Amino acid sequence: MKSPKTALIVALAVLLAALVFIFFRSGAREVILKPTDAGPAAATAPAKDTPPPTDARHTKKVTLFFVRASDGLLAPEERDIAVSDSLIREAEEFVTELIKGSAGDLAPALPAETKLGRIFITQDGTAYVDFSRELADKHPSGTTAELSTIYAVVDGLAYNFKSIKKVFLLIDGEERETLAGHVGLDRAFLPDYSQIAKN
Amino acid sequence: MKNRQRPLLALAVLAAFLCAAAAAGAASGAASPSPSPAPPSRPGQKTIVIDPGRGGLDVGAKGKFGNLEKTVDLAVSLKLKALIEQNMAYRVLLTRDKDIDVSLENRSALANNNDAIVFISIHANGSFRTATGAETFYMSLTDVDEETRKLAYLENNSSQLDTRIADESKDDVKMILWDMAQAAYIKQSARLAEAIQRELPALLAMEGRPSRSLAVENRGIKQARFKVLTGVACPAVLVEVAFMSNPEEEQKLINGEFQTSVAQAIYRGLASYLKSS
Repeated sequence: MKSPKTALIVALAVLLAALVFIFFRSGAREVILKPTDAGPAAATAPAKDTPPPTDARHTKKVTLFFVRASDGLLAPEERDIAVSDSLIREAEEFVTELIKGSAGDLAPALPAETKLGRIFITQDGTAYVDFSRELADKHPSGTTAELSTIYAVVDGLAYNFKSIKKVFLLIDGEERETLAGHVGLDRAFLPDYSQIAKN
Repeated sequence: MKNRQRPLLALAVLAAFLCAAAAAGAASGAASPSPSPAPPSRPGQKTIVIDPGRGGLDVGAKGKFGNLEKTVDLAVSLKLKALIEQNMAYRVLLTRDKDIDVSLENRSALANNNDAIVFISIHANGSFRTATGAETFYMSLTDVDEETRKLAYLENNSSQLDTRIADESKDDVKMILWDMAQAAYIKQSARLAEAIQRELPALLAMEGRPSRSLAVENRGIKQARFKVLTGVACPAVLVEVAFMSNPEEEQKLINGEFQTSVAQAIYRGLASYLKSS
């Protein structure tokens, strides 16, 4: 009943199935930390679903970077965020504050329409930060603006959260070739503090 | 028997089709035709590739008065091409000579496929507010892995290359660097960037010019991780002429005299680089 031809066809089908399996499995090697077990647990951390307390004991100062109008370089601005036992939760609040923009007269570094998706942090300290498509679609474009956006996030996270060493920017859950035509988003960024104004 | 085989045959055909589609997909990035057909070079004639940024649907930075980066990028590039062809014996190729979309990959490929000796990408800048000035960029290796940086070091100090890397591993070096070809030319790219940036504000701000107001501020040379430069296998820079996002500079950018000045400045920088290399 089974001709050699049939056997060959079956073999091909098996090979195809194997290839499909490998295709979908590859890239699944990264170990992703769950939001709750990341970061050093703070003993006094508030319960997860309580609104962020305004009590000074439960907030911490972070340094946000926004764009200085005169030269397009990044300049610091301090702000309080709620302390959490989860590094990811704190990082998410940090990025959310970054999107809100400056309380002073600095220019935003990200388009105001941008929404933060999820943040994942791998064990080697690479943070994957997922933004909505507005980050690219509403971007003013231009090398300087792209560098402002990227390093406001990368330098900001690395500067404020010591266990974050590198940052990978995703848009709508996916890797993009560039943010707005110039700077490649195809690998993680190390912080580059030369993007921050010296004076 | 024939009937039983039919689904299997269909599966096999499907498998073959999928494989072919995958192969075509993988090949399309690398093998699609270069954007502008390259005129043949004379024997021994070397090639310079100029890359007007953006194009087609990708308009780039938009000015307050509605001017688009892509138009300025092309105008300056055409002027630069004319200057080089008038004064030098090089063949000049443009990654686009009209308003069309060209992938970043194809832009680098045009340089590599034609053994270009220099790649110059021309852009107009944008910022979140009113930043001003001209700057020249070259590739940054900060985020590149250790292995590529080591190879880049060897390539950039090529007198040591022959002694430090055995013949059989040289092909491996090339293989790894293809993705990051620019890593091997960082030193030269830095020199090219310096040469161009030296001329850029200097010429534009020259005393006694008919319109002194055309001067732009010097933002210096900088490094960044440009997708369009990553794969270029020759010295390569990206010039940000001025800020389209700044209304004053937008007016300069669309001014023909300003565009000519910029092209002349880049030309002079290029000439001094080529003389010293």
